[in-house]
Amino acid sequence: MTEGATLTAAELRERWYQNEISVPPISYWSVVRRRFLRNKLGVVALAVLILIVAAAVFAPWLSPYDPLIGKPADRLENIFSFSSGHPLGTDEQGRDMLTRVLYGGRLSLLAGFVPTLVAGVIGTIIGTWAGLVRGAVGAILMRAMDMLYAFPAILLAIAVGASLGPGLTNTIIAVSIVFIPPVSRIAESETRKIVTAEYVEAARLSGASRIRILRTQLLPNVLNEIIVYSSGLVGVAMIIAASLSFLGLGSRPPTPEWGYMLESLQGDIYVVPAVVAIPGLFIFLTSVTFNTASDALREAMDTRLS
Amino acid sequence: MTIDASTDAPPILEIDGVTKTFRARLGLRRVKISAVDNVSLTVQAGSTLGIVGESGCGKSTLARVIVGLHKADGGSVRLAGTGFNGGKRSREIVEHTQMVFQDPYSALNPRASVGESIGFPLRVQHVPKEEIATRVAKVLEDVGMHPNYSTHYPHQLSGGQRQRVNIARALVLRPKLVVLDEAVSALDKSIQAQIVNLLLDLQTAYQLTYVFISHDLNVVEYMSDKVAVMYLGQVVELCDAAALYESPLHPYTQMLLTSIPTLDPTQRAAQETPDNAEIPSPLNPPSGCRFRTRCPFAMDICAEQAPTMITARPDHGVSCHLFDPDHGDPARISTEGTR
Repeated sequence: MTEGATLTAAELRERWYQNEISVPPISYWSVVRRRFLRNKLGVVALAVLILIVAAAVFAPWLSPYDPLIGKPADRLENIFSFSSGHPLGTDEQGRDMLTRVLYGGRLSLLAGFVPTLVAGVIGTIIGTWAGLVRGAVGAILMRAMDMLYAFPAILLAIAVGASLGPGLTNTIIAVSIVFIPPVSRIAESETRKIVTAEYVEAARLSGASRIRILRTQLLPNVLNEIIVYSSGLVGVAMIIAASLSFLGLGSRPPTPEWGYMLESLQGDIYVVPAVVAIPGLFIFLTSVTFNTASDALREAMDTRLS
Repeated sequence: MTIDASTDAPPILEIDGVTKTFRARLGLRRVKISAVDNVSLTVQAGSTLGIVGESGCGKSTLARVIVGLHKADGGSVRLAGTGFNGGKRSREIVEHTQMVFQDPYSALNPRASVGESIGFPLRVQHVPKEEIATRVAKVLEDVGMHPNYSTHYPHQLSGGQRQRVNIARALVLRPKLVVLDEAVSALDKSIQAQIVNLLLDLQTAYQLTYVFISHDLNVVEYMSDKVAVMYLGQVVELCDAAALYESPLHPYTQMLLTSIPTLDPTQRAAQETPDNAEIPSPLNPPSGCRFRTRCPFAMDICAEQAPTMITARPDHGVSCHLFDPDHGDPARISTEGTR
């Protein structure tokens, strides 16, 4: 470097500029990812969760048994029956518990994800719209939500589930209805907070329409809160769905579902308590990991980067 | 009444009798808040009008009425001869007036990159993609930032850089009038000086007209050609910046100017301001002259009759009964007040 001494002021400034802007752009989501990965507990929970989801998705390839037809002769074998090829035992009809748990996970996870997604979308639409237009329309929307919100979640789910009749689809509908009010309330309060921000006013100044402002300015920022809140709802949705199944309002026999499996095995709790506990253990494990991962996500997203 | 000083340049902004009242609820009562009351101002193309006043005097409301974010309840705003009043802004109006906001932190969408934020007004106005990129790069350079910053996000920028981006967003449509609402108030003093100088450079480069709103009297003096002093939603004094700082007429302006902190110890004794009164609530402004509750020269007439704008000196308007030949005694205000 011999020309270092002969740099003009303009060249120096250019070099300084290059240094300054050589820092790569870091989007909000890459900051969130970095912060999340630093949280050990959250990463472990997420790993377990991915494992459970993958096991449920690939159930047909993982389990050698039929989930619906068992051998009555082998019924109610205890766990760790490796000699007979049933590491988690068998149920009251001689069906392999490992197979049933894997297949059951498909429905249970479905009953956790789908209502959360449905309620997330509908609740966000209702909430952001109410927060944006306010006035009479907003008030009517939000008071209707408050009416639903006044019932305890599980009671409302039972009421809706009972009136629709048993079945997985109806369970999903019931749980979705239960979740729409809290999601829309969060969306509404976030929208009301953001709609007065100066960057929204700047967008209005540029002549953008209401829908465009909603899409480009409000939604990306409201979704933040919704995602954090919804991720915690998946575990709750699974528990409600399992409870409905346990009460006979959810999925119907012989399809395996964790809540229904608990119900059908409850008579044998004194014979093979460990086997009876397995579906409950999986419900517990999944919802706890979901909530732990959700907490980690909340912490990672709460970055005060405005 | 409007004071029209320099007749050489055409007025780009004419505000005539603008009034803005907010309706609110206080418990069960419905109340009216008089934020801007019968304000008339004219701004010549290429000049800077400063608006000063305490917090809550209606400066920001007036700014939002000028750019059309608020709809005025009365009066008219005419922009380069085109009248408009809130509601849907035509493309022409959008391209004519822009605003730079106070808080460099909340004025940028945290999820949008710098380029997306600056390019947003262009996308709304259906400017072709390739042109957006070149215009964003150009305006970033004009505000003293490297074009590569367009891929960065607000949380990576300092307060001064954010404010440069805000200015760039306001300028990208090449407006004629820019309303600067406390645009430098939230910045550190050293950054403030940079941004003020940048604004002055841009005024020449982009041939801008500024409405510069601030509570900082020093910055307003430095930036402005003419200054309007606002108190509780009304303009109480309007004149050239130099005249205002040399010989303020309205008792409120005098009070404001003596409240500027000084570094000269010998001047401090003179600074003891007698004013400890609360600012009256805009919910229920005083009758007659709104300043009379704090005015050391208040007379009987002040409670009965609201003063009108009087041309007390050439190009120097003041809204005070003291300068009304029927009631007041102008000599009194320039000497020591005895009451």
